[in-house]
Amino acid sequence: MTHDTPRSNPAGWLTASALVIAFGMIWAAPSPASTTEAAIVAPSFELTDPDRIALGKKRFNKTCAGYCHGSDGVGGRAPDFKGRTDLADEEAYRTIFHGRRTSDIMPPWGEAFSPDQIWELVAYIKFLGTQ
Amino acid sequence: MTASRKMFRLSAALLAGSALSFLTAAPAMAQGKAGFEDPNNWPEYHRTSNAWRFSPLNQITRDNVKKLKVAWIHQPGNITHGLQSTPIVIDGVMYTISANNNVWAIDAATGKTLWNYAPKLDKIVEQVFYGAASRGVTVGRGKVFVGTLDGRFIALDQKTGKELWSTQLTAPKTQYGALFSAPPQLAGNILFGGTTGGDQPISGKIYAVNADTGKPAWTFDVIKNDPKSWPGDSGKVGGGSAWMPGTYDAKTDTIYIGTSNAAPDYYNYDRKGDNLYTASLLAIEGKTGKLKWHRQEVPNDSWDYDSAYEALIVQKDGKDVIVHLNKGGFVFVMDKKDGALENVWQFSENVNWVKGINPKTGALIDPVYPEVDKVKTFCPNLLGARSWNHGAYNPGTGLWYSHAMEVCNEVVAGKDDPDNLKAVSALSLGIESIKLVPPPSGKPHGRLDARDPLTGKLKWSIKYDLPPLSSVLTTAGGLVFTGDMEGKILGYDAETGKELWSFNSGSGLRGGPVSYSVKGKQYIVFPTGLGSHAPGFLAGAFPQIKDLPGGAAIIAFTLE
Repeated sequence: MTHDTPRSNPAGWLTASALVIAFGMIWAAPSPASTTEAAIVAPSFELTDPDRIALGKKRFNKTCAGYCHGSDGVGGRAPDFKGRTDLADEEAYRTIFHGRRTSDIMPPWGEAFSPDQIWELVAYIKFLGTQ
Repeated sequence: MTASRKMFRLSAALLAGSALSFLTAAPAMAQGKAGFEDPNNWPEYHRTSNAWRFSPLNQITRDNVKKLKVAWIHQPGNITHGLQSTPIVIDGVMYTISANNNVWAIDAATGKTLWNYAPKLDKIVEQVFYGAASRGVTVGRGKVFVGTLDGRFIALDQKTGKELWSTQLTAPKTQYGALFSAPPQLAGNILFGGTTGGDQPISGKIYAVNADTGKPAWTFDVIKNDPKSWPGDSGKVGGGSAWMPGTYDAKTDTIYIGTSNAAPDYYNYDRKGDNLYTASLLAIEGKTGKLKWHRQEVPNDSWDYDSAYEALIVQKDGKDVIVHLNKGGFVFVMDKKDGALENVWQFSENVNWVKGINPKTGALIDPVYPEVDKVKTFCPNLLGARSWNHGAYNPGTGLWYSHAMEVCNEVVAGKDDPDNLKAVSALSLGIESIKLVPPPSGKPHGRLDARDPLTGKLKWSIKYDLPPLSSVLTTAGGLVFTGDMEGKILGYDAETGKELWSFNSGSGLRGGPVSYSVKGKQYIVFPTGLGSHAPGFLAGAFPQIKDLPGGAAIIAFTLE
């Protein structure tokens, strides 16, 4: 193989130990059974911190929006994030970390973002829920 | 929800002039002519190498299409990303593919499964962006060929489905999951195909192997090794995949295949140059992989305007020309022999990234580029003037039938954050933000246009609330078939666009309808089941999409 793109490969989530983490809640459709739970790294900040919400918004617009979810999360096949109040923090975290796979596919982002970066996305999504 | 479909621009004069002559273009009269070969089968992706998606069968006509009944339904069981395949049908056997590269041989008269092959895929397929789906298989040389989600070509025994060989071609871990979403195609004893990755920081390639042994034959680098075209290291992450199936002209041993956009999609600051051979139609020698000619449609593409769609071949003044839709909303007409430009015509209603394209030289007229820190609206949006769902050409009407969508996007360009490019599924869009917005002309919508392929002259057009994502089929019975995003299968009069028949399949259409004949009976078959990332992205402009159900069922129809 020639011209492979050099890229970093940090300890990804798809390791033998991480594989035992069952997929958690899925937003829009029935989820696979969740039998075991791995500990989720808690956020190092309050999810209502406006600075963190702003960072989450920036990353959301740069990545999530460009992929599928659209501006303010009105795209994608999941329910709109705006005005949504039924989304638990850890469920949102897990879905971003592991992705989801039902009739549609959301790829996993656990390898791309640090726990706090994921929590910033969660903070922004929660903020949208209050709008 | 009820989609409003409005007929407009019905030309009574044209209708009267050509309606009667239509049915005389029956297979018996036209035998041996391009597009009429092997009338009972659907032997390759677009049925014939001219990419017409035209069936010469005429048992099902305008007069009896209302009598179509379900002959059989085949359900693969897994609905992830629906069904995106165009089935192949040869001598009464259908070969198709469903989620996770499940390959099926089906009795084309009864729908009974003859064999099923499920490859053991690398675990990495759970992380890739373009997961689960495939657009079909290729059948020939006694084999069924598959391009896989983990970057392999596989050959199966056509009779038994038993694996004959498997060749790993990409390195999914270092190439951002580069995979074969389209079926590799045959060029004699060469099997070739490109991967996903136009929006990813890779250097795209077209791979070819010996079809009988799986032994690698040649590799074509879509990213030209030329510092003028790609300053610095920009080519190493320039995208440039060839993610749709090419076509093959056996007479001249020429592969025609289109390439993707350049990456990062909207941030062109580090790749000031024409970025060859992205956004280009390539003519490649099948035996050697040598480039014969190329036509770049969008130099220095900065709008995600791939040139990956089908190379339709029709006649102009007695010679063969290629008619090629680009995502940027223009159709390029070029000499099949050398790519010399014959015409460029505007397909989309809303185009604002250029004032136009010079139809003689192909030069972009006053292009407007995305910029950092500036919100700019571009039409068409990043999914294009049309998604990859193919059009069809009917020699009886001389018309090209293609779906279209009118949706724009607001974009702020931005350098990719290296942190965000760590995942296998990462895209290199080069944006700060993106938002789908309605076009200046009004509500976002979709269409089915019937046009002269050489000039773009519109004969009829149907408007849909949601842009259909199904490929189109046309037949010598004077019919055009397609399906919408809500699952309604539709049959139209090829001359007038009048809706003659419909059937609610339950889930939207994203694959390729086909027609064939077994024991003297004509069938029309529709892969149904909404899937791919396009509907999810379009939900930003069409909120109704969120409520549309998924599915996966091949539905075959025939007359009583």
